[in-house]
Amino acid sequence: MKILLSSLTAVIALAAVFASVSILSQPTPAFASGGLEIGATAENFSLPDVDGKTQTLNSLKGKNGTLVVWLSAQCPVVKGYKDRINEIAAEYQAKGINFVGINSNSTEDLNWVKSNIAEFGYKFPVLIDKGNVLADKWGATVTPEVYYFNAKNVLLYHGAIDNDRSGRNVTEGYLKAAFTESLGGKAVSKAKANAFGCSIKRVGE
Amino acid sequence: MKAAAIFAAFILCFSFVGMGQKKRPAARKAAAKPAPQYAIKVKLVDEVALKKVMVPSGKPLLVNFWATWCDPCREEFPDLVKIDQQYKGKIDFITVSLDEVENISTTVPKFLTAMKSEMPPYLLKATDESTFIASIAKDWQGGMPFTALYSATGELVYYREGKVILDTLHSELNKVIPAASAEK
Repeated sequence: MKILLSSLTAVIALAAVFASVSILSQPTPAFASGGLEIGATAENFSLPDVDGKTQTLNSLKGKNGTLVVWLSAQCPVVKGYKDRINEIAAEYQAKGINFVGINSNSTEDLNWVKSNIAEFGYKFPVLIDKGNVLADKWGATVTPEVYYFNAKNVLLYHGAIDNDRSGRNVTEGYLKAAFTESLGGKAVSKAKANAFGCSIKRVGE
Repeated sequence: MKAAAIFAAFILCFSFVGMGQKKRPAARKAAAKPAPQYAIKVKLVDEVALKKVMVPSGKPLLVNFWATWCDPCREEFPDLVKIDQQYKGKIDFITVSLDEVENISTTVPKFLTAMKSEMPPYLLKATDESTFIASIAKDWQGGMPFTALYSATGELVYYREGKVILDTLHSELNKVIPAASAEK
């Protein structure tokens, strides 16, 4: 029995080692990585809005936090999310969470971004991240991609808005759940989620 | 009385035929333009089935995640078809579409046919997209296109979120292909 137990322990230990090696041995990604981790505090940033006026994270944040969402004028996935983004923004800006859009796509010029804001009806500022500096710093790679900070700029949630691009079969509203938990004084239970979307078109790509 | 009943039934019968005929032009129109059939058949998979397909069988495996709605995916596809032709027999290469399931017999094979793609095509309908994405590469947020290269032993040796850089991909391919058959 003792031999059996020790063999079992050895097998489990070996499996754990293999699992960790498998994660550690992943290749270095060929794109910006790292970025802002959950629980990290975002440094204040300054970026121009579409009218050329400089805006900062600290000047735009809400009393209950900030939602920063990476957008694109050309991405069909963002188009599919525009109504949900606007609905969530209307609901939670009223609860003290301000929304800030960021466009880092090198392929989308200012006029395109401006007309897209009007077409999609965003009621929050959209900032231009020329040279994808902020996207690189935070590790943003896809649109739409959201970063939710509390009032102290601590990152509480990062990733997808929900689990269905089409909007027809949403079963997990990741972002709204994070808002609800955080505003209710609870820790965010799912702080990160991914979803397929458009890659940010970085300078030089 | 009997004659009147037969007459009424006759009229009723014709009125039904007439109703049916009203729909005919549309039906004939639809019949005249059947949905195009493509020789390329795209296989629908969930993440469990796809993970099984993504286990290399003796050769390095290249996997490209794409969608018809993704501009850079479509832009890079001709290069991927060339890669497939160039490394045929030396690697396995599959494509995984993230289009909606309703496009599996329409826009997806239409595009693959236009590209003259010969890579086995799959369409992923994941039950848990977030977990699947994280399981492929720890830094992948889900941006597309996404291309992953596995060695013959199944180790993820290279991945790229965004359009592939051809020189880099060739270099990575040649690292995992046995020296005797590597591309010069």
